[in-house]
Amino acid sequence: MVVTAPAQSGPEDLEMMWRIRAFEEKASELFARGKISGLLHLAIGQEATAVGVCGALQPTDRVFSGHRPHGHAIAKGAETGRLFAELAGRRTGYCGGKGGSMHLAAPEVGFVTATGIVAGNLPLALGAALSSKCRGESDVAVAFFGDGAAQTGLFHECLNLASLWQLPVVLVCENNGFAEFSPLSAHTVVERLADHADTYGIPTETIDGNDLTVVRPAAAAAIDRARNGGGPSFLECLTHRLRGHYEGDPTLKRGAAARDEAKDPIQRFTRFLHDAARSAELEGIEVRVRAEVEQAAEEALAAPWPERDDLLTNVVAQP
Amino acid sequence: MTKTIRYIDAISSVLRQELERDDDVFILGEDVSYGGPFGATAGLSASFGPTRVIDTPISEGAVMGLAVGAALSGRRPIVEVMFADFVTLAMDQLVNHAAKIRYMTDGQLSVPMTIRVQGGVGGGFGAQHSQSLEAWFLHVPGLKVVAPSSVKDAAGLLVAAIRDDDPVVYLEHRGLYWTKGLGASDETPTPIGTAAVVRSGSDVTVVAVSRMVGVAVSAAEKLAEDDIDVEVLDLRSVAPIDWATIDESVRRTRRLVVVHEAVVTGGLGAELVAGVHATAFEALISPAVRVGAPSTPVPASPFLECLYAPDTDDVIAAVLETLHER
Amino acid sequence: MLPDLEPEALVVLLERMIVARRFEEELIELAGDRDIGHFHVYIGQESTGIPALSLLEQGDLSFTNHRNHGHLIARGAEPGPMYAEILGRATGYCRGKGGTLHLASAEHGFPTTSSVTSGCIPLAVGAGLGLQRLGSDRVSVCLVGDGALEEGAWHESANIAAMERLPVVFLCENNSLEALGQRAGEYPSSTMAASDLTELASVFGIESVAIDGLDTRAAHQTMTEAVHRARSGGGPTFIEARTVRWPGNRPIWPELATGKTDLSMAWDASLIRPEHAIWHREQDGLLGFVRELLDSGCVTSDAALGLDKRATERVREGLAFALDSPYPEPEEALEHVFAPRGD
Repeated sequence: MVVTAPAQSGPEDLEMMWRIRAFEEKASELFARGKISGLLHLAIGQEATAVGVCGALQPTDRVFSGHRPHGHAIAKGAETGRLFAELAGRRTGYCGGKGGSMHLAAPEVGFVTATGIVAGNLPLALGAALSSKCRGESDVAVAFFGDGAAQTGLFHECLNLASLWQLPVVLVCENNGFAEFSPLSAHTVVERLADHADTYGIPTETIDGNDLTVVRPAAAAAIDRARNGGGPSFLECLTHRLRGHYEGDPTLKRGAAARDEAKDPIQRFTRFLHDAARSAELEGIEVRVRAEVEQAAEEALAAPWPERDDLLTNVVAQP
Repeated sequence: MTKTIRYIDAISSVLRQELERDDDVFILGEDVSYGGPFGATAGLSASFGPTRVIDTPISEGAVMGLAVGAALSGRRPIVEVMFADFVTLAMDQLVNHAAKIRYMTDGQLSVPMTIRVQGGVGGGFGAQHSQSLEAWFLHVPGLKVVAPSSVKDAAGLLVAAIRDDDPVVYLEHRGLYWTKGLGASDETPTPIGTAAVVRSGSDVTVVAVSRMVGVAVSAAEKLAEDDIDVEVLDLRSVAPIDWATIDESVRRTRRLVVVHEAVVTGGLGAELVAGVHATAFEALISPAVRVGAPSTPVPASPFLECLYAPDTDDVIAAVLETLHER
Repeated sequence: MLPDLEPEALVVLLERMIVARRFEEELIELAGDRDIGHFHVYIGQESTGIPALSLLEQGDLSFTNHRNHGHLIARGAEPGPMYAEILGRATGYCRGKGGTLHLASAEHGFPTTSSVTSGCIPLAVGAGLGLQRLGSDRVSVCLVGDGALEEGAWHESANIAAMERLPVVFLCENNSLEALGQRAGEYPSSTMAASDLTELASVFGIESVAIDGLDTRAAHQTMTEAVHRARSGGGPTFIEARTVRWPGNRPIWPELATGKTDLSMAWDASLIRPEHAIWHREQDGLLGFVRELLDSGCVTSDAALGLDKRATERVREGLAFALDSPYPEPEEALEHVFAPRGD
């Protein structure tokens, strides 16, 4: 039986967006306090794309993310505690502390992996989709990437392959208008990145990525298309990153939009639910989720470092 | 049953056998349904169809990554890279994903894939179609690298590579494709990480890889005429290296020559010599000698190409150098 | 149709087209006699490359690929040193170090030739950037086949060429029509999902046009416009020339599948045999060009045969020169890895 992806969204989605927001704000705080090291790329302000897309997926669908992956992992069902532990390099992290922020992996919930290589996850998602297709399975693969990925050669090669082989993949471009430190206009003359996909005959949609009520149905349609043998889709989600490229970004002011509540997907979806007369269901969500995340962070930081021997394990399969 | 077959046929028949044995095995590459430029995959498309033998665009980076993605999904892709030089276009996916994902995810994920790479000199193909890049791969933790020199190992190592749970770079030398030898029954894997003693001897150990194994053996045969008894080891596995076999041999012969077709500088030979120094330095009675190509790109001119690649005389000279009283 | 040129200029084009054709035919015959390694021939694409590239001027740069022999001849390179290079002789343009895959001659505007598919694209775009920054009015021409557009390097380079409005002309000779791997009705090829290659360029706002590769006028005219645009700061142009693949190019090793070209077929259809009749009647750009020249009165059949004789002699002399040439000295193998040490 082929399942139909849910096109609706409700209070549980608001809760998930708050969970991501709370996680990232806490991560930011821990980074500032020196409790987390490495490069920390936050997607604060982009929660609607993660929740809009992942909330329409099945547990066995496979998600591949990039260097800004926290929201995608959480929305796909990863536990915040194990994610914090991973960011903090602890043994209890999803990857035993070996992956860190940019290489999260929670395959048990279908968040296969993330990568620090811009556009590097696109072929991985295509490979998963090829596997599903050739095996006659109904699983869909999703790749999340930013607008910076659209200027890479891999992006072009992958659009061609996805279309050529009609792979069950949804390519989600989170176009936040900034490629690393500089605006998209400094990287390309192409204004609508979806035009690239169109060139290869891939169905595209360019949408307001900060409006969950828009993202969810568009994602559901793309996911259904993939699952029903209709091939790939390209979803260009116009969004706004409310932080710099990474925490501590020296060009913070250039790279970040001013915090604009009109664009904040959480505020917008909250208003939507109020307007839908569901205010009663929203009470306490933020407080509850923040407390849960707070505790997850505390536990993660109390967890042990990896063992010395862990340095050398899992390079290749254990005999 | 063993019979005399060509190196390339050994590859071909193992591909067929493994496609039959395991539904998760599939082939990706440019023009593979037509057999590729040398015919390694000829006829497979007809037998297994376009979902198992998949022609790709000329998009090495994406294709390598796509194989990684399929491997992460539990399949066992075999990627054919038409020329070793073109791996450079896919190094990002090979190095940053295939090799690192197991470690980065602390063993949650496996990348069981085989990368078949054709390379080496011969035919005057010039600088972009002739390189030997094993040292590049050797330097990347997480990659296994094999380079069969015999028909038997062409089959055995390919079986092992395909069934291995990690990415294995399988290096084919086009100069060996049409050489003949006894093919083992295809089922037998050659364990990755084991060298082979192809000629026993007591005076000097020559460790060679890929096409250079045959060159080393013919050098050994000539030296035997002068009562110099050379032991030739076929390294077979570039990563991991079979240190035990090398160590045992060098402790007996007390002299070491390493031979590869790739440039000497920063090459596999440097690693081998350093490794032997670390464990058996006291056994050596003369400095180890490396034989390989000079530090130049591969010239196209067949005349210069012949000079570029090490030959029997180069190996003989190196062996004599180790015997030279100091 | 014929390019908009004086009759004398048209005759020069014809002669270069014949040289390009005979050059490859002799090479294929030579390969039948001795092992000269693998090579790719330009037969069937002369009607694109010769009119398009012969209009380039001194200082214009061109970056080509594995199928480059015709390109060099179009810009005036000599058969002798070309053959010598292919045969690895010291008198070759690269003294034997490049071979057929890297045949290049800086004096003829070919700084280097890459045979990594798409390898020449970033080189050409980079040269365009250099010319632009130098304030030069010279242009950089990037010569690729359709397969090169499957590579990521194309996309990355086209983006930069468009953004910087670089003086680059992309001439894509799409010879995938009836190519290996193409299934019936497929266009542009079995490994390309885009239904029109020009859209891969126009998506970047690059001026893009598709022409019939057999149409010498179209090749000449679109190239003239593209070069003018580049010289005058108007940015890059993408030209797709759609060419039928010569039957002799279908096997991995080229074969004289349609025989040695007999120019008389252009005016005496009775010489055309049923086998490959479509090729000789409709798809061979050289014969087509001869027919148009005859119709226009620019040449007579006798004159065409005379040109052919001269061209064939030139090519054969070149081959003899190459075969008589020595191999490089052994020490040359170690030269030119790095810049010579300054004293």
